[in-house]
Amino acid sequence: MASEIYKLHKLLKNKEISCKGLVTSKLDALVKSTNNTANFLLRKSALALAEKVDQKIAKGDEIGLLEGIPFGLKDVYLLQGEPASASSDFLKNYTSPYTASAIQKLINAGAIPIVKENCDSFGHGSSTENTVFGSAKNALDERKVAGGSSGGSAVNVAKEYTAFSIGGDTGGSIRQPAGYNGVYGLKPSYGRISRYGLMAYASSTDTVGPIAKTVEDIRIVLNLLSGMDYHDQTTFESESVSKEFVEDKSAAKKLKIGYYKSFIESDAIDKNIKADFEQLLEKLRKEGSEIKALDFYKSETLVSTYYTLAMAETASNLARLDGTNYGERKEGVNLKEIYAQTRSDNFTEETKRRIVGGNQVLSTGHAEEIYLKARALRDEISKRFTTEFKEVDVVLSPVTPSPTPFIGDNLKDPHAMYLSDAYTVGFSLGGLPTLTAPQGTETGVQITAAKHRDDIVLQFAHYLNDSKFK
Amino acid sequence: MTLEVLSSIKGAESSEAVEKLFDVIKRANIDLNNLDVAEGVPLSKLREDEVIESSALEKEIIKSNFPKSKNGYLVVSKVIEE
Repeated sequence: MASEIYKLHKLLKNKEISCKGLVTSKLDALVKSTNNTANFLLRKSALALAEKVDQKIAKGDEIGLLEGIPFGLKDVYLLQGEPASASSDFLKNYTSPYTASAIQKLINAGAIPIVKENCDSFGHGSSTENTVFGSAKNALDERKVAGGSSGGSAVNVAKEYTAFSIGGDTGGSIRQPAGYNGVYGLKPSYGRISRYGLMAYASSTDTVGPIAKTVEDIRIVLNLLSGMDYHDQTTFESESVSKEFVEDKSAAKKLKIGYYKSFIESDAIDKNIKADFEQLLEKLRKEGSEIKALDFYKSETLVSTYYTLAMAETASNLARLDGTNYGERKEGVNLKEIYAQTRSDNFTEETKRRIVGGNQVLSTGHAEEIYLKARALRDEISKRFTTEFKEVDVVLSPVTPSPTPFIGDNLKDPHAMYLSDAYTVGFSLGGLPTLTAPQGTETGVQITAAKHRDDIVLQFAHYLNDSKFK
Repeated sequence: MTLEVLSSIKGAESSEAVEKLFDVIKRANIDLNNLDVAEGVPLSKLREDEVIESSALEKEIIKSNFPKSKNGYLVVSKVIEE
């Protein structure tokens, strides 16, 4: 299987390139880039780590597969001693006191973090326009958005500024930008990878996942990051996904495929995306796959349920940001005034909209009418997934109903932006493993399996990565 | 309490874009009994709380992140009682 990680590993091992040269070339490319994907370059620490890898190679020592491989991390992860701004004014000068568990595992394996990547502020957005660092620009067309919220990460992978990047996905924030930039992006099963050290947006759907150019790179990083973590009690133990399993095309061919009629028959879907998706299903049918149409919830129900719960959770999670212990404190005559001024001045309009919406649904009277009903809907949606994944092995769906928008278009209509997440948020509510593969439609295709079956998702993605399906 | 007070955000008010989302939920006909705790960890499975000492470097960074200090003290605002 093709792999950027293997390719670079081989070049380093055979002394065809130096690690310092590799890291420098990536950092220089980021400096020259007009895509605006880097909030902070980690030049000093990255070059120091690269130097150590070069010394090891010079001595003739073996290096691990990820040793010396440069990667990026969305600027919502903590990395000790380095900035962690969440693309906000609030934390623009904040320094991470410790390192996120997932990032620490990569560092322990020798991978080198080189860039904190631009994203929507606190993960609040679908385009990486809601950022105080300026909009990130799409890798394929700079007039278009990078997607979001992990937009900078997806662009960096597509432009090969990083070998892979670590994004965060709450309602589609890895999958959608991966689709917009033509790369793979995995939202693993909820709890497979520790969230410790990821700034919380909506804790019940927040996930950590890799963005990469190949399925094999996704597999390598997923295996390394998975597992129980003392600091995140929602994590579970999982088995590594083997290369042999992923490469088993005859098993993949036998997988029963489902798709949601409500997604394809919706008036909101772009005609080309619909036609391309149907064509992909037809190609799979011709190759012998069994395909079943499934009934599912309307997009507006999925989007409304997700955003109601996500706003409630983000209102709680961001309540700690008041300027007392960290962040940009504004002065005021008393404590309440300081809180209000600090939060009013430092949060972006979209973040404020979500905090206010969250407090609204959690307030007396509204909790029963909105919040508890949204929770009940989520339970129903999760149960429906359990039933459906007894009938099919994977569900295929477009990543987005519409093509990649132009920069500025999303900002005019927040409700339209929420609706653009229609095909990704449902799987987040179910905690299911979902991968964007850069094929099938202009913004890619999502492959989803039952919870904990991340292995099947990768197996099917490998099967789909064949010229006959492109 | 007003949204302004609940959110500690000046001039906070409900937005049209968000109200449209809530309207969909309000219209849903769904039973509120037997709610599950999605993705939650059962109390019986939670580990005991433990105090873990931060490293010297971590403590130093936490202090450096504090917004204001004076004569070696970290400054917080005066708490008011109402």
